[in-house]
Amino acid sequence: MSRKYQAVTVGPERAYDIVRAPVITEKGTLLGEFNQVVFRVPLEATKPEVKSAVEQVFGVQVTAVNTLRQKGKVKRFRGRLGRRSDTKKAIVTLAEGQSIDVTTGI
Amino acid sequence: MQITDSTIDGLRHAFKIVLPAADIEARVEARLKEIGQTMRLPGFRPGKAPLPLLKKRYGQAVMGEVLEKAVQESTAQALKEKELKPALQPEIEVDSFGEGEDLALSVAVEVIPDIAPMDFATLKLTRQRADVPQERIDEALGRIAESRQDSAPVEEDRPAAEGDIVVIDFVGKLDGEPFEGGSGEGVSLELGGGRFIPGFEEQLIGAKVGDAPVVTVTFPEDYQATHLAGREATFEVSVKELRQPTTPAVDDALAEAVGMESLEKLTEMVRGRLQEEFDELSRERLKRSLLDALAEAHDFPVPPTLLENEFKGIWSQLEEARKNDQLEPEDAAKSDEELEAEYRGIAERRVRLGLLLAEVGQKHKIQVTNEDLNRAVVREAMRYPGQEQAVFQYFQNNQDAVNHLRAPLFEDKVVDYILELAEVSEETVSVDELTADPEEAPAKPATKKKAAPKKKAPAKKKAAEVEAGEAEAGEPEGEATEAKPAKAASKKKVDDAEPAEAEAKPAAAKKKAPAKKKAVPKAADSADSGEADTSEG
Repeated sequence: MSRKYQAVTVGPERAYDIVRAPVITEKGTLLGEFNQVVFRVPLEATKPEVKSAVEQVFGVQVTAVNTLRQKGKVKRFRGRLGRRSDTKKAIVTLAEGQSIDVTTGI
Repeated sequence: MQITDSTIDGLRHAFKIVLPAADIEARVEARLKEIGQTMRLPGFRPGKAPLPLLKKRYGQAVMGEVLEKAVQESTAQALKEKELKPALQPEIEVDSFGEGEDLALSVAVEVIPDIAPMDFATLKLTRQRADVPQERIDEALGRIAESRQDSAPVEEDRPAAEGDIVVIDFVGKLDGEPFEGGSGEGVSLELGGGRFIPGFEEQLIGAKVGDAPVVTVTFPEDYQATHLAGREATFEVSVKELRQPTTPAVDDALAEAVGMESLEKLTEMVRGRLQEEFDELSRERLKRSLLDALAEAHDFPVPPTLLENEFKGIWSQLEEARKNDQLEPEDAAKSDEELEAEYRGIAERRVRLGLLLAEVGQKHKIQVTNEDLNRAVVREAMRYPGQEQAVFQYFQNNQDAVNHLRAPLFEDKVVDYILELAEVSEETVSVDELTADPEEAPAKPATKKKAAPKKKAPAKKKAAEVEAGEAEAGEPEGEATEAKPAKAASKKKVDDAEPAEAEAKPAAAKKKAPAKKKAVPKAADSADSGEADTSEG
């Protein structure tokens, strides 16, 4: 399962920038069964960066990171088209036996 | 659930309850699941939010709710197990509780003593009845005639005297300027009637028709129109006509004028009314003697808190009366200690009788039905002639008020029940004997003036027993209901002095109405103040 990333370490400030917020939704909590946690991360964050950041911030072992870009919806406001900004989500798989309580500190 | 450390001190039972933490935990979770079914959390469909999340969000609130419920339920269950009948809400204290700890409570409760009602068949009571004497009827008729007073012009050319009615035009001036509401044309004013501001009427005495006296009066300091209060005003009056009041004769014409077919019918009606009142009074008497007998025959300990509450109620009424300087003379002479002893006795008696009646009622399944309540509402409405609709509306919109009628009804039914069992003999007495207050040996003529200040205290004393039934167990609102019978009783007193007056003088009846119950007849209130308003010069 585990993939090899080029090892990257990020500074503490950058780490907190990368881990923006947990994604607390039905889908997000269901992933808890597979020992996975979902975070919202900056668009430019890379998988190695996320891995390093999560390990630093929460003090856990990360075995894998999957990321996805969610395109912003096209919305109409006062008849004019607009576009919401894209976001990136990172699905972080933790090493066995480890957990992050994402519900604290909402 | 464990109950430990039971102690009994008289009627006071105390014990401790311990609820295991697991129980409470389970209850909290069950409750969380329940609210989770409907709760909307962002990111989740209703019912899909995970329990840990719910717990984080609502755990505290649910815990409080569950604790409260657990405390209530366990207390109720403990009382049931111990077969205690609480007289009041149990006092509950939480000794210790924390997350994951057992919940420990101490409960103290006053119980209703075991009441063994006496054998009512051994009661011997006398029902005092009175027939309506002719002079009472004549008196009442006379009063009706008076109320239909008319006036006739004075033929001779004489100066106005007290009691005359002058028809006047007047223009009131403040500092030489006419002011609003200070003028009138063709106003009939009874001299000595006290309708205008003090001094006005007096200055018209001696005026003749065609005269134009100038009246100078000072508005009283407490006049309701503040811009006029305390100021001096002059009124240019011109006297148009002089009339004097005449009282119509008591005859068929009078009867027709008040809406009856003939004098005979009118007399019949007046007699009926009086008889009704006397019957009511005799029933009150009988009830009173019954309660006396009951109080004598029973002696069980009374829950001290109930007693204390009752006593506080009486005492605050007394304080109120003292503040308004309406103390009974005999009470005023007594020291606080004597008064306290006296009223404490009354309070105890009330509570005891209340408990007894409640017990009897419960034992014999006496219940106040909806029909009873409706009847009571109708009766209540009849007491405010002309405003039945308003009263009905009041009761319709105010379930509380209806419930307040329940207590006296229940009491009445229980009393009726006991009276049926008891041996009641009849005795015909004179009216004076019937109306005399047994506590005041000589029958005083109950003039209105006298009745007014006495209203509260003696009526209250008499009504004490009447009210007792309302101190029904564990019914904290008993307090509020209490005022009513007392007032009803006092009303009776007044009515007795002037039977049939309510009919003859609707205005007078209205005046009394707001005092009896403020909430209902708003209309009467305004009518009342409307009358006061006209008294400006």
